[in-house]
Amino acid sequence: MTDLPVLVVGGGPAGAAAAVTMAEAGLRVLVVEQRDRLGGAIHRQPVAGARQVWKGPARHQRNWAELAERVERAAGRIELRTSTVFLGVDGEGRFLFDDRVAGRVFARPVRAAVVAVGAVERIRPFEGWELPGVMSAGGAQVLLKETGQPPEGAIVVAGSGPLLLAVSAQLARAGNPPLAVLERGRPWRSPRALARLMTAGPQLGEAISYAAALAAKAVPYHAGSEVLSVRETGEGLEIRMRIGGSDRLLQARHLLIHDGLEPNRAGIPLPAPEANIPVFHAGDGREILGADAAILDGRRAAAAVLASLGRAAPVALLEARLSKARDFQLALSDALHSPAALPSPETLLCRCEGRRYADFAALPADASAREIRLMGRFGLGVCQGRFCGPMIAELRGEPLPLSSPPRWPLRPVSVAALAKFSTDETES
Amino acid sequence: MNPCFYWIDRPVSFRPGETIAAALLRAGIADLGPDRGAARARVFCGIGACQACVVAVAGEGPVEACLTPARAGLRLGPQPGLGLRHD
Amino acid sequence: MARSPSIHVAVVGAGIVGAAAAHFLAAAGARVTLLDASGPAAGATGASDGAVSVASKRPGPMMDLARHARAFYGQCETDGLLRGLFHRRSTFLVARTALEAELVAQHGADLAAAGERVLDVDRPALLSRIPGLGDGVCFALEIPDDGHALGYEVTERLLQRSSVTVRRNAPVSEIVMRAGQAVGVAIRGEMVPADAVLVAAGIGSAGLLALGDILIPRKGQMIVTDRASAGRPAIDGHLMAASYLAAKRGIVRDNAHIGLVIDPLVTGQFLIGGSREDHCADQATDARTVAAILRDALDLYPPLRERRVLRTFAGVRTASCDGLPIVGPHPHLKGVMIATGFEGDGICLGPFMGASAARMILGEAPGIDLSLLAPRRFARAEALA
Repeated sequence: MTDLPVLVVGGGPAGAAAAVTMAEAGLRVLVVEQRDRLGGAIHRQPVAGARQVWKGPARHQRNWAELAERVERAAGRIELRTSTVFLGVDGEGRFLFDDRVAGRVFARPVRAAVVAVGAVERIRPFEGWELPGVMSAGGAQVLLKETGQPPEGAIVVAGSGPLLLAVSAQLARAGNPPLAVLERGRPWRSPRALARLMTAGPQLGEAISYAAALAAKAVPYHAGSEVLSVRETGEGLEIRMRIGGSDRLLQARHLLIHDGLEPNRAGIPLPAPEANIPVFHAGDGREILGADAAILDGRRAAAAVLASLGRAAPVALLEARLSKARDFQLALSDALHSPAALPSPETLLCRCEGRRYADFAALPADASAREIRLMGRFGLGVCQGRFCGPMIAELRGEPLPLSSPPRWPLRPVSVAALAKFSTDETES
Repeated sequence: MNPCFYWIDRPVSFRPGETIAAALLRAGIADLGPDRGAARARVFCGIGACQACVVAVAGEGPVEACLTPARAGLRLGPQPGLGLRHD
Repeated sequence: MARSPSIHVAVVGAGIVGAAAAHFLAAAGARVTLLDASGPAAGATGASDGAVSVASKRPGPMMDLARHARAFYGQCETDGLLRGLFHRRSTFLVARTALEAELVAQHGADLAAAGERVLDVDRPALLSRIPGLGDGVCFALEIPDDGHALGYEVTERLLQRSSVTVRRNAPVSEIVMRAGQAVGVAIRGEMVPADAVLVAAGIGSAGLLALGDILIPRKGQMIVTDRASAGRPAIDGHLMAASYLAAKRGIVRDNAHIGLVIDPLVTGQFLIGGSREDHCADQATDARTVAAILRDALDLYPPLRERRVLRTFAGVRTASCDGLPIVGPHPHLKGVMIATGFEGDGICLGPFMGASAARMILGEAPGIDLSLLAPRRFARAEALA
């Protein structure tokens, strides 16, 4: 048992920080990352031959360079499996992984696990959000980092949150500034929250540099504005929007949407430190606190693993700094808060199964989680409720109960790869 | 010259290390089909979570375009959609 | 059915059997409260394939019952109650070895003897119906009159089209008896009065009626894939391997045995099953069993290599120790009716058996002779003494 590795799922800042902290404390660590290299969405590197359009704030680069170097130094204790997807824990307690290169599912015994799989974007649905040409702002950002090229043709960015500003500024610097940026929130309505945000040094500096990039290209930024619906025309998208008090139509090729972040947690077993094999969440996958805090949170999770193994691991300082990050996020969500509006009956909630708001509204008010899944078909589709789950939680005013026992696979897995699973081949 | 894979019958060139999604979008292919039915596939979240960019691979299981490195000679196409039934 | 407007029936268990009984009781004028520890279709009904299949049944009373039950589906589809939910669909019984071919041929003969249409299909004909079928398939029979319905959809429809009061999150802890007669059920200290009680709670019936020695939980693990086609079944029939028949006919009794079925759903997805694990009442699935099912499925139908697994799930079938369902009045508790023990046949038999239980509660004879299923056959056993 003592030479079994601790599993770290996810190679972003939280996962990398957790891995190096544990490796430096003498533990063996197994890191699995779905992509072909570490970094996560925040530190996605350009492919060979692509230019790097946007390096991000200097402190992010420094932080990541330092982590990457520590991973390198601890290579003897860290086993890295890239292009490998964590599938969850099965009914016999096996931690299962999908090796996408070998095309085979395998199990590995571990002594503890840190799950640091980041965030998924929240989407407030409107008619047409499912159309090709509509992309999440975060998804567009990842592709921009990777290819160094913005999408071709006119772009509109809409929704809520600081990411809108960041993506828009990066598009502008890459040579395709958006036609307009629509922020649903009205930050000037919450002067107290704004004042709290002003005290956050680094984030404020970032926001100012983004605003400057947008101003340089004369990109209009409309607060208190939102997209009402989208439809396809021959040339692209026709976007109906409300800017201030009036409705407007705009033609664009791409609409990038984003309404905040949600821990990416669908189906992942909740932390149970008292369990035989304790599982801890870390980073934005535990609580949305941003990239700086994710590193601290990875260290906090590592400390929790060490403590569960009877090793002293002080966390008080970390907790204090995490709590500061939490204050910032709370002020941000206060400043940008906008009341939820009911979608139109025809609005798609579940893209995977084609289920609309009318289908949800037709379910009995006291419908069980099972009925919402089976009769509503919500949470039954390929994304396994990662997108409609938060929408439904907002509409119901309470989260969807978790399925019990926890389901695996956490992500769809090839039939052929799973058929190759064998208990004889369990690696140790 | 860059290597290429095929979207339906159309060759799409890619730079080594690039994902299928990145190559498709650079080639101007945003609509990942199918032609008929609700909810056509498209690149959306970029991190494998939404499953909206899943494409069929001849002879193998479908893959998320946004996670999967492009390989020369791959034959890709749309996954079956939801059909026209509105239920 | 005779109108008994004054009677109030408490139905325990909102699976397909309880929902059907509740529906038909209400249709006959009874006041009905349907209680479930969780909600409609929360147990085996919502965790099963949708085979309304005679082809899979053991020769004898089960095969005959299934023929009545399938005909009842057809009737409910025609009269509108289950319109759109029941689809006719062939079952293909397939063999991959000489020994299996013998078993399939024997089963075909048994089906024909029960009056079922059984068609020979040679390999070219089979391949034209199911392109890509594995090379190993050496013999097959087509049972053309089988059908398909999803248990949870049927359950929802039965409840929608009735005046039944559904109480979710209502775990019944006790049947309240007074002077040897049922007078209601207890839920968390609350008493729901009733003139009659129907227990159709699957494995939950065991605790309620002390049938622990008679009812056996039998877990089945299943797999759902992504879509192979858009909005229609991907193949033209339900594939049932000889290994499934072997389990149903009691030829193999091994907890590691896989009785393979590949069920094309109307969504274009596949439902693949399943294991038969006696005395397992949990709903967990494991990679060992799921991978074994998938290996067998790939051998039978190789095009599955182009699919992904979306979900794995397990349902708990409720089997009786003699292999027959338990339907009829409790031998000693007056006013208590039982309908459980349908093992893996609940979706097929459910609406018909629910309707039959409703008639018995109203004091009428069921549509056909069900005396073989009567609970009194266990009366000598400790539990029902």
